Amino acid sequence: MGASDLIDDFYSFQPYELEAEKKEGLLLRELTELTKFHQEHCRAYADFLEMTGYDPAKVQALYQIPFFPVRLFKEYDLISIDRKSLFKTMTSSGTTGQKVSKIFLDKETAMAQQKVMIRILSDFWGKKRLPMLIIDTPDVLKDRAKFSARGAAIMGLSFVARESVYALREDMSLDLDKVRAFAEKYAGQRFIIFGFTFLVWQHFYQELCRTAQRFDFSQGFLMTGGGWKKLMGQAVSQAEFKRRIHEACGIRHFLDHYGMVEQTGAIYAECEYGHLHASIFSDVLIRNYRDFSLCPIGQKGIIQVVSALPRSYPGHSLLTEDEGVILGEDDCPCGRKGKYIQVLGRMAQAELRGCSDTYAEEHGRDPGRAVSSR
Amino acid sequence: MRRNMEGIRDAQFLVGDEACLAAMERVPVLPAFSQPAIEFLSGLSQKLRRDPVAKEYGDILSYAYWIRRASLEQAKEACAGWENRLGRGIAFHITPSNVPVNFAVSLTSSLLAGNCTVVRVSDKVFQQVGIICGAINQLLEGECAQMKPYLCILRYGHQEEATRALSDMCSIRIIWGGDQTIEAIRQIPIPPRAKELTFADRFSLVVIHADQYLKKDPRQVAKGFYTDTYYTDQNACSSPRMVVWMGTEPAVKEAKRIFWKALEDLAAEEYPMRPVQAVDKFTSLCMLGMSRSGVRLRSKNTYVMRAELESLTPDLSQYFSKGGLFYEYTALRLEELLPVLTERCQTVSVLGVEKEAVLNLVFANGVRGVDRIVNLGETMTPSFIWDGYKMIEEMSRYVFRQKE
Repeated sequence: MGASDLIDDFYSFQPYELEAEKKEGLLLRELTELTKFHQEHCRAYADFLEMTGYDPAKVQALYQIPFFPVRLFKEYDLISIDRKSLFKTMTSSGTTGQKVSKIFLDKETAMAQQKVMIRILSDFWGKKRLPMLIIDTPDVLKDRAKFSARGAAIMGLSFVARESVYALREDMSLDLDKVRAFAEKYAGQRFIIFGFTFLVWQHFYQELCRTAQRFDFSQGFLMTGGGWKKLMGQAVSQAEFKRRIHEACGIRHFLDHYGMVEQTGAIYAECEYGHLHASIFSDVLIRNYRDFSLCPIGQKGIIQVVSALPRSYPGHSLLTEDEGVILGEDDCPCGRKGKYIQVLGRMAQAELRGCSDTYAEEHGRDPGRAVSSR
Repeated sequence: MRRNMEGIRDAQFLVGDEACLAAMERVPVLPAFSQPAIEFLSGLSQKLRRDPVAKEYGDILSYAYWIRRASLEQAKEACAGWENRLGRGIAFHITPSNVPVNFAVSLTSSLLAGNCTVVRVSDKVFQQVGIICGAINQLLEGECAQMKPYLCILRYGHQEEATRALSDMCSIRIIWGGDQTIEAIRQIPIPPRAKELTFADRFSLVVIHADQYLKKDPRQVAKGFYTDTYYTDQNACSSPRMVVWMGTEPAVKEAKRIFWKALEDLAAEEYPMRPVQAVDKFTSLCMLGMSRSGVRLRSKNTYVMRAELESLTPDLSQYFSKGGLFYEYTALRLEELLPVLTERCQTVSVLGVEKEAVLNLVFANGVRGVDRIVNLGETMTPSFIWDGYKMIEEMSRYVFRQKE
């Protein structure tokens, strides 16, 4: 039973085609199946389900599927396939000393991730494969056995791209000649510029400013992800980011996204109205911290993400450490159906009283976990 | 010998000054329960209890009550051979950043033992520290000037040089703040004759007899239990993380319902929980759930998160959290507790269960844990006996005199 067989039903629809009721039906069936699959194939997950009192007979809606804390992928090797079928292991981009998430993929799951990513993105920039300027160094891909989040995102996207050009050298300096050659070659055509938000800001935008280089990137789609907090640290808001980049090189199409290594593929991409959209492959539920009940549209809470893709590891329903809000459902002016959300960022840590001093850090909480949470 | 005081140049003196600190090595130590120390502490008690600002703080009041004259006299009576005891020299106390009044509790035993006392408080500012130090300074500048050479309170962050300088001159070092702090500070040596008292990470539990509980006022019990737990974010060593129920089956069922409901109401009203705490607690609970079968989540409310266990094992303490996560177990006999009474177990608080029975359990089985057996609601009450140490005895020196 491969992942691709299971979500075959999904592929007969466009990624933003389904309205709430139909989407819920499709996802609910898939997620109930996935829950059963992981219960049967991952002992720790089965014990987790038992702890929550999960009874599949009582599940009538998506929100009744138990959510699993995303942090646990840092604590345990969670896997629902025979290790012999292991295709690759992805890790989150933690800095030294931090625990990283480990995500185990078989070929089917990895392929489904690619396929879904392509379907989602082509809804934004068309079915044609576009050339891509990557604001990163090719060195992030060096160790193929262990994919970092940055590497995984780049690899995923290069499947969508016609030609990939890395704009940064090994030392993260901007290779202006390469950028110029890229700009000239694809002048007047659509293309993608991809990078992690902070890298785009620091190693691309600021370098362009410093060297007073002008390019016409008005046909480019700038796809970013992650690191808004780091930019906020430099007092740069998202709006400010867009305005300044537009001024520097004419970019008009911005495509930020929210996603995480634990649910690669089913990303939440930003439409022309600045909303992050859930595709039919995944969904967002917002939980009230007081009792984990569902928050209505417009109310801030803890983000739970569900995805139909994770088959080789039990990551199909996750409680994240981010806060967000559902802005609306099925009614975004961009025409895409499904929920659209705003991500408010990582939850603030609590400073607790007690005898144990604050030399100690909280277990496993770190800011570098998500591939591209913003 | 002139000490190098360079290391403490960035420290801020809340009580005393550099000259006072430098002179400490030559100051004669005091006998245990010396008149000046008792006058000073009971004076502090009076001052705090009369101060309208101090009275706003429950922890200051409870401290002030503990150091009133009658209580000090009781401690003296309880201290065997106090006439032969005197201070060891300079006692250096490293107190935690998260319990505001702990520094005062620590210096109290130290002064009663007769030591020159140097206390480090953390750079995290608490009103309580300011209020108590203010009262101390008034006393030292006034009627208790005799005690002035015996007390310095310094505030500094995690500067190693300061800790090094003070460790170098001490005869006893007292480290609060848990395993990681102890490990960090133990990298810094103390003189060969110096001794060390450490307060490591511990956990605690409560045993409730359901039938007895049902005779009590649930709101009163909830209040006491809240003080034991949420008041310190359930993060004090003495905070119960486990609730063990005993009694007849219907009573246990009924008691659970009433007990948790009363606590939920109180916590929802009083506890300022942050959203991340709900996730932290749930994560710890999931880790427990994934480590064995037979764990069942029983709460919907995240302020009081709780799960029932089918069995108790020594590794349970790895899965404890804080800020309101409770594991419950129903026991037919006290012996069922033995697996969790490990060295890390500090306080067993009780309601409706004989303390003597718990004590017998510890002795009959040679249990490594359990240093305190107290009533539910009183786990935080300051005491001269803590973590299995008789504090004044530990901090003083006993002079043996052979019989004539």
